[in-house]
This record gives sequence, structure tokens and C-alpha cells, in this order.
Amino acid sequence: MKHNVCLLEAVNLALASEMRKDEEVVILGEDVGVNGGVFRATANLRDEFGLKRVMDTPLAETMIAGVSIGMASQGLKPIAEIQFMGFIFPALEQIICHAARLRNRTRGRLSCPLVIRAPFGGGIHAPEHHSESTEALLAHIPGLKVVVPSSPARAYGLLLAAIRDPDPVIFLEPKRIYRSQQQEVEDNANALPIGSCFTLREGSDITLVSWGAMITETLSAAESLSNEGVNCEVIDVATISPLDVETILISVRKTGRLVIIHEAPRTGGVGADISAIVAEQALLDLQAPVVRVTGYDTVMPYFRLEKHYLPNSQDIIDAVKQTVEFV
Amino acid sequence: MKYFKLPDLGEGLPEAEIIEWHIAEGQCVETDQILVSVETAKAIIEIPSPQTGKVTHLFGQPGDTIHTGEPLLEFEGDEENDSGTVVGEIPQAQEQTATTDEFIIGAPSGSSHIRGESKATPAVRALAKRLNIDLNQIKGSGQNGLITPTDVEKTAKLDRAHGKASPLKGVRKHMALAMIKSHQEIVPVTINEDANIDIWPKNTDITFRLIHAIAQACKKVPEFNAWFDSSSLSRRIHSTITLGVAVDTPQGLFVPVLRDIGNRDQADLRNGLNLLREDVKNRTIPAKELQGATITLSNFGTIAGRYANPIIVPPQVAILGAGVIRQEPKVVNNEIIIQRIMPLSLSFDHRALTGGEAARFLMAILNDLQQETT
Repeated sequence: MKHNVCLLEAVNLALASEMRKDEEVVILGEDVGVNGGVFRATANLRDEFGLKRVMDTPLAETMIAGVSIGMASQGLKPIAEIQFMGFIFPALEQIICHAARLRNRTRGRLSCPLVIRAPFGGGIHAPEHHSESTEALLAHIPGLKVVVPSSPARAYGLLLAAIRDPDPVIFLEPKRIYRSQQQEVEDNANALPIGSCFTLREGSDITLVSWGAMITETLSAAESLSNEGVNCEVIDVATISPLDVETILISVRKTGRLVIIHEAPRTGGVGADISAIVAEQALLDLQAPVVRVTGYDTVMPYFRLEKHYLPNSQDIIDAVKQTVEFV
Repeated sequence: MKYFKLPDLGEGLPEAEIIEWHIAEGQCVETDQILVSVETAKAIIEIPSPQTGKVTHLFGQPGDTIHTGEPLLEFEGDEENDSGTVVGEIPQAQEQTATTDEFIIGAPSGSSHIRGESKATPAVRALAKRLNIDLNQIKGSGQNGLITPTDVEKTAKLDRAHGKASPLKGVRKHMALAMIKSHQEIVPVTINEDANIDIWPKNTDITFRLIHAIAQACKKVPEFNAWFDSSSLSRRIHSTITLGVAVDTPQGLFVPVLRDIGNRDQADLRNGLNLLREDVKNRTIPAKELQGATITLSNFGTIAGRYANPIIVPPQVAILGAGVIRQEPKVVNNEIIIQRIMPLSLSFDHRALTGGEAARFLMAILNDLQQETT
């Protein structure tokens, strides 16, 4: 059945779809039950599936992660919601020291089929701790998969894949575009592959690589640039870890130019890693230095300065021109 | 957003007291314009507008306490969406009509092609730029054709000493490639002989006579009107004779073809030849008029030169060259008299033809040329 939904509603569709199919799937988190989640991602799920499968928890992220790992190791498929990514830090000890290494520690006897969902990124005028993009922190941990959807259809398909994955997946939802785009999504329980990029626009002059809410800015920049005769190939990385290196390399070998766009701070960001991989494996195909368009190496500012912090399509256009005009 | 609710002020404070409204009902406000000052247990905080719009109602007066999540004011127009007790503002879709999502999983098919440009590291490219060297003109000597610093420096040294090389283009490049192929494949032998053409009437069309002689000789020795395939060591003997006529131009060598020279009269051939020459001169000759020759004539006698070793263009097996016609003392009926002589040079591919066949072919040429008329 087709639905006209935004990204947030696509998350809800995927959760409901998989819960109907697989009764091992349970949801837990702050306000996810009666309230339906602060953003309404889990709206109506408690009514349909009951309080044993949709559980409100105390405000204790360490406990949410720890309980989820216990559930996952014993056969359930928990989906934990961290209300904002900025609140995930107390849970990192559980996630890094246990979830990510349970399979390795037990030599494969136990796995941890756990999904941790968290809204992330800025752009919604939120207060402190509510706007960070720390995906690189998680991508650095072996044993974790990190997935970021950038459209309703990809949110639906990738969340299904995350729930079905036998290992822990951190599913980061770009909240700035939670409701900004309506799409036809078929509720057909078909997953999209984790570990694969998505090419959103084909082009021959330059490769633009991005993910999450920055995809919107990137596509808008690509559209403007096409009017000036610059054909951009736009790649949605979608899975931050493990990275689909091949798709990026194929594109860079074709275009010879690369701009990476992410909202997170520059230093130690995922863009640095992509840039390094391209330097290692496609140096001779590069016609210009790789350019990164990123947030600043500062604390995410309060909302009045937020728009100055976030990369926008003009920043991307400037970077593309700098790259294309490099002799 | 229809109702703007008191946001989470970030310190876990559940309520705030309105100190002062900075706007009035009915007023239009801008995004980030300060709406109200509120006092929490910790501080006085100014709350900015999350959007641009007309404020239709203010909830609460100075001194009232508002709880987090309760409405502060109402904007005109917008329908209320249940976007939750969320802090901040989630941008809404501008259009409610759904788009379809179009994407390719992974890379688009057929995009795995490798760029055709020269392979060089950035340092080598920088070196080439500094030395004003076009990397596309260099064949890399490194691994997988990688251009090395030494390659660039060698080219730069040559350029400094002898000036820049200009790459061959178009017809000149085509000629170079055809000649290389000929040199690699063909085993050529050239025989020279003079034709005594003293008997010719005035204003005889020399080129026509040569064409006629080739046609006659090909009829006598059909093995000359053939294509030879090096890879399969096979030959095709043609039933019609298609003559390539070498034409010199400032741009380079063109060899347009005259079809079926064995069955056309003089006027027809002369007309055809003139048309080809005109087309070549104007650079309007169609590509198909430059293809399919089965034997070639090069009449360099219009310029200078006596004998030559004309180069055969594969898959053809022979070419006839004619030099400058000269006067020479000859013994005729035991008397030395001055005669008009045309020097001939016949090259043939010894892989496809024997010396005997070549001598008989040359004899047929001479017999035809030494007639008074055709």
C-alpha cells in the first residue's frame, strides 16, 4: 500500500510494519509509549502493540542501552530511542564496551541485533545538546553500523534493514528534514541495503558526497550548478559505517573532482576519512584537491547563530566552483 | 505552526513567569524577533519568534506562570499539526503533494569507465605546469603508463633545445599511421623503368594515360588488383579496379579513389578526376570517396623527381609512381635521337606477388604507355 509520508512518518511505518511481522521486535525509550515520542516517531504503536512491546523508560540512557543489549543477546530485537543524539553519551559505555563487541567477545555465540534510533543534527532552533552531529564518533567504533537516511523512502527501507541486521545499528534520523519532504512510500516491507551508497543524481563534472539533512542542500546546489553548466553527481552515503567506498571511487574516477558535505565539525569527521580513502585509491584520477564543506570546529551554537553554522547550498556552490576552476 | 508553546528552556525547568511581552496581538513578527521575556528559577530569558507571521492571540499576562509545552501565543492561519512536545521547530513540507524518490543503489551502471586523461601524480602535474608541458603529449614510462618526473623533464629539455613539438593532426596523422602500418607489415620491392612516350601527340592527358595503362596491366595480371590480409595470409583479387590517386595538398596527402577505371572512357575518367581534385582542394570530399582503393597511382612528376620507392598502403599490394618527363638521347634504329621519357617506379608486396608477376605487370604498363594513343 502506498502512503504519502514525510521521513518521520516513514520511520513510523517501518516500525509498525516490522512489529507486525516479527513479534520479537520491541521498542523502548523516553516518551515513546503514551506520548508517541517527542517527534511522534512511535505514534500509535503502543495502542496497536501494547505496553509489553512499546515501553516507556526512565530518563536514563545508560539503562536504555544496557537493557536493550540484554534483550538483544537473549533473542529479542529491541529498537531503543535516544530522544536526541546529544543524550547518547551516557549510553556510549554500554554501546561501545558491550553492544559493539558482544559477537567478538563470545566468539559468535551471542549477537546483538539492536537498533538505536536517535534524531540528530541542527536546524530546528533547539536548545543546547539537541543539535549535534556526532556520527563520526560512532563510525569510529568497530562492530557498530551507522546509518543515516535522507528521504522518506530511504528511511523506510534502511530502518527495516537495520532492524533485521544481526548486529547493532545506530540509526540517525536527520530531524531537520523530518517533515520537510512528502514522498510516496510503498509499505511493502522491502528493505534497502545497508553498506551501500545511493546515487541521487548522475553527473560527469564533479562528485558531491553527503548524507542526512545536508543532502537537501547538496541537491539544491547541484540543481543551481546545472543551470551554469556544471553537472554534479550526487551521492548519498547513507551508511556511514561500513562505508561503500566502491561507489564513491567509481564516481570520482569518472568526474575527477570531489566535494564532501557534512554538517558535523570538520576535524576528525567522516569527510576526512572519505578524503583519505580517495587520496589513497584514486589520487591519479583527481583533477583538483578534495574540498570539504562542513560545520565548524566549535560547540554547536544556540539557535540564533545556527544558520551561520550549518553549511548551505551557497557554500556548496562556492566549493564546487573552487574545485571545478582549479587548473 | 499555529500555537507557539513555551519551549524547553534547556535546564530542565518546568515553568517560567512572563515578565514582559515585547509584541502585541495583531502584530506581525519576524523570525528571531524577541517575543517575550520570561523569568525562570535561574534567569530571565528572552524568547525569539520561531517564524514570521501575524500574532493573533497572546496567552497569559505579565506575572502569569506558563509551563513548558503550554501555548505562549497563536499565529494566524496555519493548521495545527501534532508535532509533539518537541523543542525547537521542525520545518514542514512546502507542498503536500508527494514526490517520488528516485535513486540508484550504489553507482549508476556504465559509469565505471576510466577517464582517458594522462596519469600523473599531483607533484608531476605541478612540475609539468611549471615547465609548461602538456601532459597529454607525453607517453608515461612508469607503471601502467604513469608519467614520471623524468618523462616531464626530458620533454622540457627537448623543448628548450629545439622548440615545442606540434602534434600531428587530421590527414597528416592519418598518413603517419598508415605509413607505420605499411612499414611494419609489407615486404616491398620496387622496380624502375623508363617508358618512351615520344610517340604521344601534343596535349596528351598524361594522368589519363597512366590510369589507362594501370587498367590494362591489371587486366593482364589481375593479382595486382588485390587486397592482402596479413593476419590470415589471404588475398582477395578484385573484379573491378578502384584506383587511389595521390593528391598533394598543403594540409597533407589525400588519396581519393576513382571507381571502376577498367570500364570508363577518357571523358568520364577525366571528369571524375577533376571532381575529386576539386573536392580535395575544398576539403569537401566525403569519407567514402577516400576508401576502397585496390591499387594506387602517385604522379609526383608534376613536381620533381625521377625514381622513387613508393610506399604501398595495406591492404593494397602495389603502387605505381611516375616521375618528371624528360628528354633524353636514345638509340632508335641505330641512331641517337632525342626522345621523351617517363620514369616509372613500381612497388609491389612480395608477400602477395612474385617478381615475375611484377615484371609482367610492368611490361603491360610499358606496352600500353608506348602506344601513340589508347
